[in-house]
This record gives sequence, C-alpha cells and structure tokens, in this order.
Amino acid sequence: MRQLIALWRKETLALWRDHHGLAALFLMPVIFILVMTMALHDAFMPGASIDVDYGIVDLDGSVHAQRLAAQLDGNSSFRRQSAGDDLAAGREAIRDGRLALVLVVPAGFGERLLLPSGSDGKPTAALTVMLDPALNPALRLAFQSQIAAALGRLRADELTQRAAAQFGLSFAPGLQARDWPEEIVSIAVQNTRDVRPPSSVQQNVPAWLVFAMFFVVIPVASIFIVERQGGTLQRLSSMGLSPAYLLAGKLLPFFVVNQLQALVMVLVGMKVVPLLGGEALIMPAGRGLFWWWVVAAAVSLGAVAWALLVASLARTIQQATIVGGIGNILMGALGGVMVPRFMMPATMQQLAEWSPMAWGLESFHQIMLRQGGLSEILPGLAKLLTFALLALALAVWFNHRKTQ
Amino acid sequence: MLTVDALSHTYPGSSAPALNELSLSIPDGEVYGLLGPNGAGKTTLISAIAGVLSPERGEIRLDGQPLAEVRRRDRRAIALVPQDHAFYPMLTVRENLRFFAGILDLDGAGQAARIDECLAFACLVQVADQRAEHLSGGLRRRLNLAIGLLGRPRLLLLDEPTVGVDPQSRHFLLESIAALPAAGTSVVYTSHYMEEVQAICRQLAILDQGRVLLAGSLDSLLRNQETVLEVAGGALPPLLCERHGLQPGEDNSYRLSQAGTASLAALLADLAAAGIALEGLQHGQRNLEQVFISLTRRSLRD
Repeated sequence: MRQLIALWRKETLALWRDHHGLAALFLMPVIFILVMTMALHDAFMPGASIDVDYGIVDLDGSVHAQRLAAQLDGNSSFRRQSAGDDLAAGREAIRDGRLALVLVVPAGFGERLLLPSGSDGKPTAALTVMLDPALNPALRLAFQSQIAAALGRLRADELTQRAAAQFGLSFAPGLQARDWPEEIVSIAVQNTRDVRPPSSVQQNVPAWLVFAMFFVVIPVASIFIVERQGGTLQRLSSMGLSPAYLLAGKLLPFFVVNQLQALVMVLVGMKVVPLLGGEALIMPAGRGLFWWWVVAAAVSLGAVAWALLVASLARTIQQATIVGGIGNILMGALGGVMVPRFMMPATMQQLAEWSPMAWGLESFHQIMLRQGGLSEILPGLAKLLTFALLALALAVWFNHRKTQ
Repeated sequence: MLTVDALSHTYPGSSAPALNELSLSIPDGEVYGLLGPNGAGKTTLISAIAGVLSPERGEIRLDGQPLAEVRRRDRRAIALVPQDHAFYPMLTVRENLRFFAGILDLDGAGQAARIDECLAFACLVQVADQRAEHLSGGLRRRLNLAIGLLGRPRLLLLDEPTVGVDPQSRHFLLESIAALPAAGTSVVYTSHYMEEVQAICRQLAILDQGRVLLAGSLDSLLRNQETVLEVAGGALPPLLCERHGLQPGEDNSYRLSQAGTASLAALLADLAAAGIALEGLQHGQRNLEQVFISLTRRSLRD
C-alpha cells in the first residue's frame, strides 16, 4: 500500500506542477462549453428564429401579393427587411450583403393565382427567389418550402372565397385576415414527464467533457516518457515494483482527475451557462445519476488506457503531444463532439461508430435525454471497456518489448 | 560473492550479441570496476544483475543463490543507479527521496531518518527543497546516487555515475563511492574513464564486445614485464637494437622484455654514448589504456 500511496502522491504532485496539462484538462473544456453552448444556442431550439434576412420585390402590387407577403410575415422563421421596388434594388441588396434572399412576385401574380400555367394559352410568370450564393442550401430549401406553403394557403383561401360567392354562401367577416394555425408541431421525445427538447448545453457539456477526459493523454504521456527516457522505469523495476502497481499508480490519480473534470464541467453547465443567458444543464436524478457516473467512469478508463498506449508508442513528449492531440481531435470530430452526430450525413454517422468518444457521448445522451438505464448504456459501456482493455494490453506489450 | 556464469544476450534487431558467454566473479566488500568502451556490454551486464533484463542464457548468483531468490527475500539487497538521471525533475530533492523510499516500502519514522542520512551523505541538505530540474549536473548525479543508497543495499550497481559532471563533483562522487564498502555496501562500478576505475577499484574486469578480456586485481593488470622507451630523433641504429634485444613499436618507441637493472643501465649508457635523447621510459607498470590497447589494438575511447 505504501508503494501505491507513493505513486499516487508523485503523479498528483507532477500534475499539479504541470500548468499546461492542467489548462488542457480544465480550462480548455470550460471555454469550449461556454463558447459552443452560446454559439449553438439557437441551433437546438425548435422554432427559434433563423438569423437570415429576406425581402420581397412586389412587381404585381395586387391584394394577393400583399396577402402572400403577410402569410410569410406571419409564419416564416426568416426575418423580413425592405428590398426596394424593383429587381435591380433586390439584386443590389443581396450583393451588398444586406439580404440573403429576395422573393420576386411577378406582375400578374394576383390575376393568375388560380390559373395553372398555360391553361388559358398564356404563360404564367413564376415566383422567383434571388439568393446569396453563400447561403446554406438547407436554409434555401426551407425558405422555398415556406413560400410554397404560403402560396398553397393563399390559393386555398381564394378558392374558398370564390366558391362561397358562387354558391351564395355567407362568409365570416375578417376571415381573409385570419392566421392559419401551425399545422406541424415538433415535439422532442425525451421521457413521459418531460417533453423539453435537448438544449445546446445538454449537447455540449457531455461532449466537451468526454473530449477533455481524453486529454489526460498529455500529462500521462509527459510523465511516462520522462520516466522511460530518464531510466526511472528501469530503476523502479530494479526496486521490485511490479508493472501492475505501476499501472495502478497511474490509473487511479487520472481517474480521480477525470471525475473532477466531470464535476467542474457539470457545475459550469448548471451554474455558469445560465449566467451568460443560456439554459441550465439538467442532470438526471436518483439512479440516473448513478448510471451517468458509471458512464463517466468507463470513459475515464478508456481515456487513461488510451493515454498509456500513446505514451508507450511515442519516443518523445513532442510525439506524444502530436499523436495524442491529433488522435483526440479526430475522435472528437468523428464522435459528435464538435458537430453533433445527428447533423452528420449517414456515412459519417456510420464512421462515428468507431470513435470511443461517440460511445461515451451516446451513453451520456441515453441517460440525459432519454432517461435510459443500464440496458440502454450497456453497448457503449461494453465498447469503452473493451477499448480500455485492448489499449492497456497493447501498452504493456509495447513497454515489455522496449525494455528487452 | 557475485558470480556471473556464461551470460549471453542479444537485443532484438541486433546481429551482434551484447553479452557473449560472459563469466565473472565479483568479490564482496570492494568497489569492483567494469571497464570497457561504449557498447562493450557493461550496461547490459548491470541491467541483468539489477534484474531489469532477462538474459537469454546463463546465470547470476549472489553468495551461491540465484538472484531472483535473493531479490524475493530482500528486494532492497541490490540497487541500481542508472546512467541517466533516473528521478523526477518536477519534484524536489526530498520529494524524490520520499517517493523512492515509499517504493522501497521504508516505514514512516525509519523513512524520514534514512532520507536525512542520504541527504547528508550526498551533501544535498542545502538543496533538499529545490526541484530536481533546477539542480546542476553534479548535484543531479549526487541525487541519483543518494536514491540508490536509500535501501542500504548489499550491492550497489553504478552505471557510469560521473558522466557530464564537473571535476569537483567528480572528486566528491569518487570519494563517496570509495567509502561505501566500509559501510557494508559492495559496489560494481562501470565506466569508460580508466582514471576513475584506476582511482577507486582494487579489482576490475575489462569488457569488450560482450566478453571479459581480462579480470583480476588492479595491481596484477597494471604490472608489466616490458620496458618501453621513447626516443627522439628517428630510429635507433640496428646494431644497438640487436645488442639489447629492443623490439621496435609505434612512434619511435621500443620494447624490451624482462629488463633487469644491469641490462637497463647498460642500455641507457649506450644511448647516452650515441647521443640519443630519451623522451620517455616506462618500466614495471602501465596504465589501463595501454592494457586495453595491448588486448584489442583499439583505444578505450574509440
């Protein structure tokens, strides 16, 4: 036991004096959580306004064109600004970056609202959307869909009114000006009690926590390489210290560091993010909290084992920093830390299955967003523990090979 | 008595063996020198004795018992001081000693007392609370040695312990090491500095290419039956060489075997009569460099 205490004390002192390592473990993820939570605040909120301006150039001037504009104003997630009175003004507004989209309502739009193109032998000019080429294609499609929906409602209104007039039916006053109710409502399925969708903070805290936990690779590798290069490992071996003790001497301190990281990141999510205007992190309670900790422990084992493997492979601290750092960034990019997995195309989502960070993040989400239990997190836990055991076995093998 | 019997080891990827059927007997109560050029197998032999390397063939025994058995009964019996600074630069001198004392399982009160003794022995008391990374090269070497002494080992293995230190620290280290056998610690001392080995070792072995070239007491190894003369001004007259049995060597040197006082006096008289100046005369003794060159035709520093 005296040996283990000496090893733990040594690792703690070494880490405490490694200011760069501490910054990578604690400061970096806190900054990432705060910045990314605020930056992606609206991206996770259904119905949040989209920060894109559009304008309408009305070349028709009919009451129907005005009603189309009113429909878009009432239901569009985009923000309407003045676009001028003609095409040239609309183009200019896009070119100077004031507007991203301009809807051009052609002359004769109102007259030919219910006439399919060419059905009376005359062509019907189409609604035109002028757009900024740098605009996200998804936003372009969303805008077109909203125009199509508004146009459909306008035509339905017009048909209803004409039919009522034709059949002599009375029509409730003010109907033309009414708002149509939202016909499609998004509801995030979380659990039976709570139907709130995941917020930005609930994506970002576990994501950057997993990322930060894997950054123990830097201090673990630094100390390990100092030990190997300086002959300290050789000396410890000659003192009869078994490799198992050596390993335990490293696993526990960095496991504790990982748990401290978890505590700090959760507190930042719960207490600091709301101070900056974001939504507070909601942690599971009771048994959910226990499973959350089990996932944190499994991620930690994977992270420390990965760190030991990198330390065993690298010859110098610089090599370990590069291999560990780039490896972590790749695992993070693939695993949904930087870009949430659901935003990735299908191929990338399949690739993400290979990232240990994705296993940890998915398990956290199972508990935090879907109130999952052991059966839901078991696949992720199994993968993380297998990864940890494999990495440890490889680390031991590489070290054995180097000392012989 | 440490006995090394037919030890062989080849590192993976290397074509030449690091140890090649090496056998050696190292007596107790001495500073025993292992001398040899870089790559002679000194560090490999030390690593095998320290138990950090398992040789492919051969056996090492301490007082007739296999090393593994000795180490199992008392793992502080043999201590290794590696060639590099084998400690933690980010820890202070005292923290380093406390860490290694913990690894050796020294208990609380005994641990503190032993740390103080080692600090005093290595003259590190003044810098006990300085981080190791801020120490000079000489002080680092002293800390390396002090850690090796924490467990009061019966056998201390020192691998090139004076590399890169200033003359003052070297002198201090050599004096400290020479005093260890009196305190109950036998020492195996490897070096490629022949002056150091000559200064503190009474017994030694010369290693090269994984083999023992020569082993024995320093006196016997340095004793020389040959007289070597170095003369100025070109070669000696052949007639003079023939009369005194002089064998030409390198750089105007001549060797004379089994020279007695009378024959040496006659030779010097003839040289004086011929007006030949003598630049050097060595009789009865040689240094380790010359011993090594005579064995391998190479310099120790090659």
